Amino acid sequence: MRFSHCFLFLLLACILACAGCVDSAAPTKITLWHQMVVNERVVLDEMIDQFSRENPGIEVRALYKETEELRSGFQAAALAGTGPELVFGPSDSLGAFVTMEIVQDMRPWFDASRQAEFVDQALTFLASRENPDDPMLVQVGDRVGNHLALVYNRNLIKTPPKTTDEMVSLAVAATIDKNNDGRTDQYGLVWNFVEPFFAVPFLTGYGGWVFDKSGRPEPALDTPECVAALEFILSLQDKYKVLPANCDYETADALFKDGSAAMIINGDWSWGDYLSNKQIDAAIAPLPVVSATGLPLGPMVATKGYSLNVHATGKQADAAMKFVEFMTSEATERQFMTRLKTLPSRKSLLNDPLLTSDPTLLASSQQMKNGRPMPVDPELRAIWDSMRPHYQALLASNETAPEAARNMQRDAIAAIERMNQTYQSGSAGRILKFVAGLLTLGLLWWQRGAWKRLAVDWSRNRLAYLLIAPAMAVILFTIVYPFFYNVVLSFSNMSLRNFQDWQITGLQNYEQVLTEPKFFIVLLKTIIWTVVCVFFHVTIGLLLAVMLNGPVAGKSIYRVFLILPWAIPSYITALTWRGMFDYEYGAVNLIANQYLGLPVINWLGDPTNAFIACIVTNIWLGFPFMMVIALGGMQGIPGELYEAARMDRVSRLSQFWHITLPMLKPVLVPAITLGSIWTFNNLNVIWLVSNGGEPSDQTHILVSYVYKAVFNLYQYGYGAALSMAIFFLLLACSLLFLRRTNATEGVL
Amino acid sequence: MRGVKEPRWITIGRHVVLLLFVLISIYPAINVFSISLRPGNKLRSTDLAIIPENWTLASYQQLFTEQPFLQWLGNSLLVSVAVTILGVALAAVGGYALSRFKFVGRQASMLAILTTQMFPATMLLLPLYVMIARLHLVNTFLGLLIFYSATALPFCLWQMKGFYDTIPVSLEEAARMDGCSRWKTFLKVTLPLAVPGLVITALFSFMTAWSEYIVAAQVLQDKEMFTLPLGLKSFQASMSTQWGMYASASILVSIPVVIVFMLLSRYLVSGLTIGAVKE
Repeated sequence: MRFSHCFLFLLLACILACAGCVDSAAPTKITLWHQMVVNERVVLDEMIDQFSRENPGIEVRALYKETEELRSGFQAAALAGTGPELVFGPSDSLGAFVTMEIVQDMRPWFDASRQAEFVDQALTFLASRENPDDPMLVQVGDRVGNHLALVYNRNLIKTPPKTTDEMVSLAVAATIDKNNDGRTDQYGLVWNFVEPFFAVPFLTGYGGWVFDKSGRPEPALDTPECVAALEFILSLQDKYKVLPANCDYETADALFKDGSAAMIINGDWSWGDYLSNKQIDAAIAPLPVVSATGLPLGPMVATKGYSLNVHATGKQADAAMKFVEFMTSEATERQFMTRLKTLPSRKSLLNDPLLTSDPTLLASSQQMKNGRPMPVDPELRAIWDSMRPHYQALLASNETAPEAARNMQRDAIAAIERMNQTYQSGSAGRILKFVAGLLTLGLLWWQRGAWKRLAVDWSRNRLAYLLIAPAMAVILFTIVYPFFYNVVLSFSNMSLRNFQDWQITGLQNYEQVLTEPKFFIVLLKTIIWTVVCVFFHVTIGLLLAVMLNGPVAGKSIYRVFLILPWAIPSYITALTWRGMFDYEYGAVNLIANQYLGLPVINWLGDPTNAFIACIVTNIWLGFPFMMVIALGGMQGIPGELYEAARMDRVSRLSQFWHITLPMLKPVLVPAITLGSIWTFNNLNVIWLVSNGGEPSDQTHILVSYVYKAVFNLYQYGYGAALSMAIFFLLLACSLLFLRRTNATEGVL
Repeated sequence: MRGVKEPRWITIGRHVVLLLFVLISIYPAINVFSISLRPGNKLRSTDLAIIPENWTLASYQQLFTEQPFLQWLGNSLLVSVAVTILGVALAAVGGYALSRFKFVGRQASMLAILTTQMFPATMLLLPLYVMIARLHLVNTFLGLLIFYSATALPFCLWQMKGFYDTIPVSLEEAARMDGCSRWKTFLKVTLPLAVPGLVITALFSFMTAWSEYIVAAQVLQDKEMFTLPLGLKSFQASMSTQWGMYASASILVSIPVVIVFMLLSRYLVSGLTIGAVKE
């Protein structure tokens, strides 16, 4: 009896110990991808620490991803069947996530009583295609905001304007040329003038909205309200001149922070910087009421919150939701509210004394009342994409307000149609597979001799195969799968509506690529871009190499300075160049105008000039590389050749032409070939310097065009076909160039 | 050319051209430096002063105290050095095969190598992630090593092949006449003559790994594993980038590159091989 008791007790202890072991040895790990900026991350990390202390069985790993990257990364990860359990971000990505079926319903963890604790806007419900009548809870918000408000400098303006008339007269009075040199030294009202998101408050103030009242995401841009709003915005630039030409986000920001602008319209993310800036005395006020309509300027308001990955199940999902619960609890939200001035999503916190005592939170919540929830439909992206070019054309006086409104509407309808386009897999898909099979077999048959030759050659050139094999293995290992994946994708219907269930459907993507007139215009620009950039890379690189490769004092110092453009991360230098091309404050115009007496040029506001600006930046970034290559190549040239030439009194120029250049050919040809390919596909410089193809989407090269199609309109199949077109173009050009230069020939 | 006195106007001409381009090179770089000193998180300023008013080193301080900058630096150095070694080794032997052997499929391989560079990187993102996830390379430096080497190798192979092409075959023939094996000839005769090529290959491999971002963002999922470009990117956000920290980190990131270049560039201009090459 005692023995069996003992035994049972021991058994039980064992089980408990084991359970404990398992528990402590393998805590449930959950991953969160979020897009909180640096100061928000400090609070987030503290909260995660606190959560882990309270829940020892759960380990939370947080990873910051920038907005766009979070979206595209999460899509890719979910497609691969993995990814973070939770994503935190603004609600405007949710429409796409639900359509792609990569987030899941959170109602099993958030029942009706718990839902009732939140303000309406905090919870996002969206219906899936299968169950249109039963909307799922796809995001639990921990904050609402992201809205624009008026920030003013109290040193320059005493009381904020109540109406737009007041705002205009205050702005005009604050726009001053202090030293009468014809240049304005202080502006009245600035903001990210070239971005349509910042025009939305005016649209609502004049009684309009981006979508119509049908409840479906149908654009409503060609309306009298929209025209009136556009005309008002334009008058600030053309009639009242209260802001500088081509004012973008960073220029507006710098002007206000330097005390050179009386008012700025900017979002809640920026207010902390302004309030803590000692050079100015900033305060926040709600945007004024439109004098003509009596309606307040109403910005878009977005919820930020947590969504659950469709692949999170069982223990993972429970742990993840426990974390969501913690992050949206009253205590946590109060922490964020107190320290970061975010507006809470819980009803219980709306009456918190802090909301009325803190001036920032007070202004923020007042502004919020006039705001309109940002639509969560994926179609919103199409709206931005269609508004931007015509809005910028309006600002550049290339379109009138009614024209711009009409064109925005037309493009928005077309873009939405394109985004929602679906192709069905009919017989075309099967035929395509059959043809692909035949082609492969044909290719094998055609090349059947190659294998035999290879076998024979093996015994003779064994060393060569052994030498090249490791490098080839590494290269092929990484490229084969992605390449064929893309080939297949280019024949498929993968898009927003067919994200996980895509099929091979035929040639329609190629048809779309080749029938679009814009493709050829962009192609032409890409060719100009590549040829001009590479030409200057090589000539400047060679020039500097020749200068350095002689008796010149201070060589090593020169060399170090000359590789700086290559050494510094190009993201920041490209943006620095963008700043240098600024119309009013950029170094390029200032130097050209003040020291050289040249006229100022609106670099970034004009398509041709903006393209030149991109080219100049890219030349700057690329010449050190060619210089280094040329320097290296010159070391292989026997000095005797030059000595002999000097004996024969051959001029320096012809020495360069007849000795240096031919001797450099073996090293320069591959560098030029690859340099051209890289330049052709260089997305970054164009994207950063022209801010994504601005003005009016006219500075695109093919890759930025692909990027836009894939990331803004989710046209994966089309993007893949476009990439294939790029691939074949580059292949053809490289073949021609290499054949002409005999670069693939060896020495033997 | 060395040891020959040049006419004065040419020497002056050299300095003028070099100074002009040095100016063009450093002006934007100085701009980045002044962003890093600016208080109040500003990318742009309305004045052109290089040392801004109320300048501060707070960004640099934050980088070391609040961010694991040194850890990122260590990770980046580890990955970049590994990629450099692997890239140089594979390219040195592979390029030799391409230059000196007429084996079956040589032209095809050279083209195949080139074609890997022709696909827009943005489109490779999706399959890349799928591949990394399936191969369990998430959060491993090995994954980075493989992908970076593959990115750097095409250029390195072609470049090395080009360099070997400039070295006369007669030298090798002489060595083989003396009874050297093919491999030994390569090691003792050809390779030392290709040092400038190796230097460029090394520099390029290093830079590829040092500044690469897209693949790193797919592979590395832990802040502790971050390389510098990922660390830098974490200061970046649409409309609320931490410009001060971004700029100061950019300045610091470029210092190792400059050091590596200074160490290597001795071999780019000393011309240590030239005397030996005679046809």
